[in-house]
Amino acid sequence: MPKLSSSSALDTLREAKTRQRLQHETVIVLCSGTACSACGCLPVLNALTEELENKGLSDKVELRATGCHGFCEQGPLMVIQPGDVFYCRIAPEDVAEIVSETIEKKNIVDRLLYVEPKTGMRIEHETDIPFYKAQERSVLGRNKLVSPKEIGDYIAVGGYSSLARVLGSLDQDAVIEMVKSSGLRGRGGGGFPTGIKWQLCKDVEPTPKYIVCNADEGDPGAYMDRSLLEGNPHMVLEGMLIGAYAIGASEGFIYVRHEYPLAVEHTKIAIDQAREAGLLGEDIMGSGFGFDVKICKGAGAFVCGEETGLIAAIEGRVSEPVTRPPYPVERGLWGQPTLINNVETLANVPIVIDKGAEGYASVGTEGSKGTKIFSLVGKVNNTGLVEVPMGITLREIIFDIGGGIQNGKRFKAVQTGGPSGGCLPEGLLDLEVDFDELTKAGSMMGSGGMVVMNERTCMVDVAKYFLTFLQDESCGNCVPCRIGISRMLEIVTDISEGNGTMEQISLLEETAEATSLASLCGLGKTAANPPLSTLKYFREEYQAHIEEKRCPAGVCRALITYSIIEDKCDGCMLCKKACPTQAVSGEKKALHVIDQDKCDRCGICMDVCKQDAVAVV
Amino acid sequence: MAETITITIDDEDIDVEEGANVLKAALEAGICIPNLCYLPELKPTGACRVCIVELEQNGRTSMTASCTLEAKDGMVIHAHSERVLKVRQNIVEMLVAEAPESDVLQTLAERLEVDDIRYPERDNDCVLCGRCVAACKEVAGTGVKGFIGRGTDRAIGFPFHRDDLCQKCYECRDRCPIDIAPSSRRDPCGVCGSELSKNNELIPEICEDCELG
Repeated sequence: MPKLSSSSALDTLREAKTRQRLQHETVIVLCSGTACSACGCLPVLNALTEELENKGLSDKVELRATGCHGFCEQGPLMVIQPGDVFYCRIAPEDVAEIVSETIEKKNIVDRLLYVEPKTGMRIEHETDIPFYKAQERSVLGRNKLVSPKEIGDYIAVGGYSSLARVLGSLDQDAVIEMVKSSGLRGRGGGGFPTGIKWQLCKDVEPTPKYIVCNADEGDPGAYMDRSLLEGNPHMVLEGMLIGAYAIGASEGFIYVRHEYPLAVEHTKIAIDQAREAGLLGEDIMGSGFGFDVKICKGAGAFVCGEETGLIAAIEGRVSEPVTRPPYPVERGLWGQPTLINNVETLANVPIVIDKGAEGYASVGTEGSKGTKIFSLVGKVNNTGLVEVPMGITLREIIFDIGGGIQNGKRFKAVQTGGPSGGCLPEGLLDLEVDFDELTKAGSMMGSGGMVVMNERTCMVDVAKYFLTFLQDESCGNCVPCRIGISRMLEIVTDISEGNGTMEQISLLEETAEATSLASLCGLGKTAANPPLSTLKYFREEYQAHIEEKRCPAGVCRALITYSIIEDKCDGCMLCKKACPTQAVSGEKKALHVIDQDKCDRCGICMDVCKQDAVAVV
Repeated sequence: MAETITITIDDEDIDVEEGANVLKAALEAGICIPNLCYLPELKPTGACRVCIVELEQNGRTSMTASCTLEAKDGMVIHAHSERVLKVRQNIVEMLVAEAPESDVLQTLAERLEVDDIRYPERDNDCVLCGRCVAACKEVAGTGVKGFIGRGTDRAIGFPFHRDDLCQKCYECRDRCPIDIAPSSRRDPCGVCGSELSKNNELIPEICEDCELG
């Protein structure tokens, strides 16, 4: 690819690439994100490539292997354009039929369509699927439009035009002003206004300055940053370039988790291609502005995602957060002013420039603008990545997009904000999701994790789970975080084992307060959210554990017993075969009995029983 | 030379150099802020959080360690507000439960009127304040002592098992605030070792004789 010497050269290239893309009659967009890869999309991709070649269709059909589409529950999945035909759970054996029927004859293969669980209806078009309908996919939706390994694809759909506009017609202050008035806030957890952060970094004098893209996504179950870097790395690069121009940085780093090999690979390719096209390096598009990026692979700890921990990791030191202020915008990498933005934040930047501040701010709530990507997981029907406008209600996300709770069970709580977020109860389902509302409710936006829980989830156990995670991931430097979390976990463990007292609840609350107020970094400051929010909304469950020695959800092993209901058991022997401790006895077609001494309370008997004959008390 | 600025600690105006260590400035001005991991000759790490204060900024207050806080003109700091005292007491309670045998921690607890230790005792002795690690690096210049592990597994040791590099200078031992080596005692509570604040109402009985009170 020739180096782009000016913004008009970019325009010319865009026209050429667009023409090239239009030459294909049909496009098969196959999701090749990590989740779909795990579901087996690569054999499908190979089979498709072979089938198209065998039939001589390679020139007519564009086979686009893209990043994540979000509907991971249904993978491997594809969309065929034109026609917007959506096929899911595709196997390599389906490929021949897809090509002969849908590509050649324009017929629909019914059995590959998505079945809406509520109505049992098959849905033909992607846009008609409820999961997608209520979403506003202005960032993640672009994954479908490009192959992450092709800079030409990104340019064809308007990529790097925001950068060209910035370099061609806006000075640093104008860019910052635009980001400020767009209302964009950091998507990595803190929700700090992005424009103000840029301003602070621009205003400090020392040079050189650095920009860092924080791709150390560590929340369990969260993978939006991963999907953006894997699926559309150029968008993140473009955001970084604009940020670098605004603050006056000439060097940047992408700190990405070692556990994200595909993201690393695609980012590497993107950087190489951008360099080749002259979009990284000196004198970008003839503007005089120069900038380059290096990839820094993660050092493996959760706390590396904390700004000062991340700086230490890039510098090659042990990742332990240090006190802010001074903030990294004043003294960051190697003591120099450093702007650290999250992947999703940076991916939003080209959109801000493209739509204009007002256009961007037209979506969202008073204090939180634009869209947010959530990873919707847990006991919900449609798990995956969802992108919604700020201000949408939890109910819409969980019930309209998520399709409600699995197996007709009852909703109990949703945990937002990652391990140090909070659990919100049914009464808050109509809460409008944005930074401020979630914080007010005792939870947080975090990086956008959303774990849905049903009636079989014990909230004491949930608090215990997240505290265990945080205890392991605390760096251990400051007392309130290291000791405070371990003390909270100690108390919650006592309660879950039936050894708790009501006095311990007030000690738990006091420890939680000290931990959140006095800890050095964000990890400790938010670590009290899991116990505090569960205590706030599910206090009676703690009381049941303490006063009645009873786990109402039937989860905490020390407090429950499994038994077989005589009227319902048909003696099928399924539980007997499945029991790992041989605690079930009983002959075929006769009542089975659980030996409580041998029983490990794992609940497998309950899971396998088809007659609902296993009860837990 | 750095500019001289004014900060306010517990309603007391103090003139300090811009960027000065707030804890150090407070102690020098006779305002006692209890502390543990801090030593004037070592780079502050903010690990023990005993010296936390409330910082009033733009109409909001936040809590932070005073040893790692750099003075800025007009800063308003509360070192003995009700909230600070409550959290500080809780932190000291946690510390005592980690190392119940330590005299220094017992003294600290007594001064802060922490009489009831509600956490089960742990018998850890070391509370990982990090003075020894900093002394090894900054005073002895060897840096062979360090932290090993993360979270509750964190411990003091010789990373990569290089204890052979230790010069046996005892700069580390001399600074240990826990009663491991009796000769090494350093008072964890301010300048005179007894008073908590210039504010009379906040002074517990134990500090009655302090001339600063």
